[in-house]
Amino acid sequence: MRPLIEFVHADFAYGENNVISDLDATICENECIALIGPNGVGKTTLLRLATGTLTPTCGGVTLKSRPLDSLRQREIARSVAFVPQNVEVPFPFTVRQFVEQGRTPFLKMFGGLGAADYEAVRQAMEWTDTWSLRARVFNQLSGGERQRVKIALGLAQEPQLLLLDEPMQHLDIGRQFEMIDLIDSLRSEGIAIVASMHDLALIEGTFSSVWLMSLDEQMQQGSPEDMLRPEVLENAFRCSPRHRPRLLERTRNRMERAL
Amino acid sequence: MVWEVTEACVESPHGWMREYRHRWLLAILGVLLVLAALVAAGVGAVHVPVWHLMGSVIGGKSLSADQRVILFAIRLPRIVAALLVGSALSVSGLLFQGLFRNPLADPYVIGSSGGAVCGASIGVFLLPPVSVAGFSATAILAFAGALGSITLVYWLARVDGRTPVVALLLAGFAVSTMLSYSSYFVEVLDRDFGTDMRVLASWLHGTIAQPTWPQLAIVAAMLAIGLTGSVPLARNLNTLALGEEYAAHLGLSVQQIRIAVIVIGSILTAAAVALGGLISFVGLIVPHMLRMVLGPDHMRLLPATALAGALFLLIADTVARTAIAPAELPVGVLTALIGGPFFLYLLRKTKQEVML
Repeated sequence: MRPLIEFVHADFAYGENNVISDLDATICENECIALIGPNGVGKTTLLRLATGTLTPTCGGVTLKSRPLDSLRQREIARSVAFVPQNVEVPFPFTVRQFVEQGRTPFLKMFGGLGAADYEAVRQAMEWTDTWSLRARVFNQLSGGERQRVKIALGLAQEPQLLLLDEPMQHLDIGRQFEMIDLIDSLRSEGIAIVASMHDLALIEGTFSSVWLMSLDEQMQQGSPEDMLRPEVLENAFRCSPRHRPRLLERTRNRMERAL
Repeated sequence: MVWEVTEACVESPHGWMREYRHRWLLAILGVLLVLAALVAAGVGAVHVPVWHLMGSVIGGKSLSADQRVILFAIRLPRIVAALLVGSALSVSGLLFQGLFRNPLADPYVIGSSGGAVCGASIGVFLLPPVSVAGFSATAILAFAGALGSITLVYWLARVDGRTPVVALLLAGFAVSTMLSYSSYFVEVLDRDFGTDMRVLASWLHGTIAQPTWPQLAIVAAMLAIGLTGSVPLARNLNTLALGEEYAAHLGLSVQQIRIAVIVIGSILTAAAVALGGLISFVGLIVPHMLRMVLGPDHMRLLPATALAGALFLLIADTVARTAIAPAELPVGVLTALIGGPFFLYLLRKTKQEVML
């Protein structure tokens, strides 16, 4: 598997506040990575470093062996799509007009969308099952619909890597399962995925590996089976041992044992 | 392949259905504009019947000498001025709304008009004979004033890349009040204090006075520059609506777009203020009405806003000068009367949605 994004001794700080230090990690083609860790540990920051919208204070990030800071943002956006947690649109754009913005990295200064662009938009919307929503106003969608439409915008970029920031947020259990199905289908089409996740029970079976960030240690990487063990999680999330039964309930290991 | 293209056209919102509606609207606005101009040329203290005008345009009949003077020296310049000012105000409103990602932005509300008045009064009172490359100091200083005030408000009102309504309105109010009243201060500094007093008064009320043809030519040039410059910005404003960070991720040069919008919006504001002074809410009403018909796509809105803004202000100015004849109402008073309640309605509606 060829590497898409590589972090090479990457540090990042907001002013004095060090968020990421000495990060070495690689996102390869066709990988599906769950990014977990306590609140405020820098999961979104790591995703933004991979999109080039943030630049490491020290060290570097490369896309297919080329440093991100030597590439124009348009070029990066044709390979890497970022789906943010919240999008606020001040005007009543339709779902379709919203998804069309995903073609921005392909358009010339004065040109409009061409037939190929419309086709990419349509495919992205059919894939995420949002084609039927195309005439609706984005602001009036439910949380689950909005999430799928945001992913459609990312897919309209025809990316090789899709970065999802909290894709399960505000979703009911049925919509969470739909999201899992969508992630599975994207993966089978050869798109690499990194998703920051809070619900640990949804990780096993879909994600190929887990990146665990914790506040004062280096990021740990491993398979879901290795990483979703109570000792590991307890330490990273700073849970008190008396909550271990609850922690076990939140991971799949426990469920399998029960079965 | 042919089928694909056709299907894409039919299905897309930029396809023929919307295209049709958009084109029709432009055509209707164009026709209304011509009709409104004819009516506006006809009405006033001396009534010139519309068919006389039509006759003279087509070339059959000729007008009397009196009618000629009234038309070409008095009414026509004023009609052209109303068209230019209305168009400039509406388009700058549209641009600022896109920039601030806020449908309540308007050159008057956010203080850019106030800055232009302040700059223009420095030109009128302190540097009357100066001109640079054919442009009077007034026009250039109005532009500088608009540019300075919008930059200040933008810097004051932004919180984490967003512009909350409250911050925008408060910063705009403070800057606008401060700058428009500074004009009085500038006036007092004038050595010939008193002679140009009416100029300032009419500016602050928003009156389209009796412009000369050279003044109109300068403003028309500014409007042309502003409209041409807006065309490549329109699609970028759609992307910017997603938020600055997201737009940057998609490859938009946010900083460049931001500067371009501020500069072009200020040229348009300065053009409007140089002829009409502080005319409020036009830049708010016109884009909003069109958004209800055409949706929020800035590429569709731009040409329609330019035409509808011209039409709106021509009608408002004609009503303002004929409604209580022989007295004349400053058109700014009329737009404030219509626009104030409209602004409050929008504020209330926006509050219910997401922005506060």
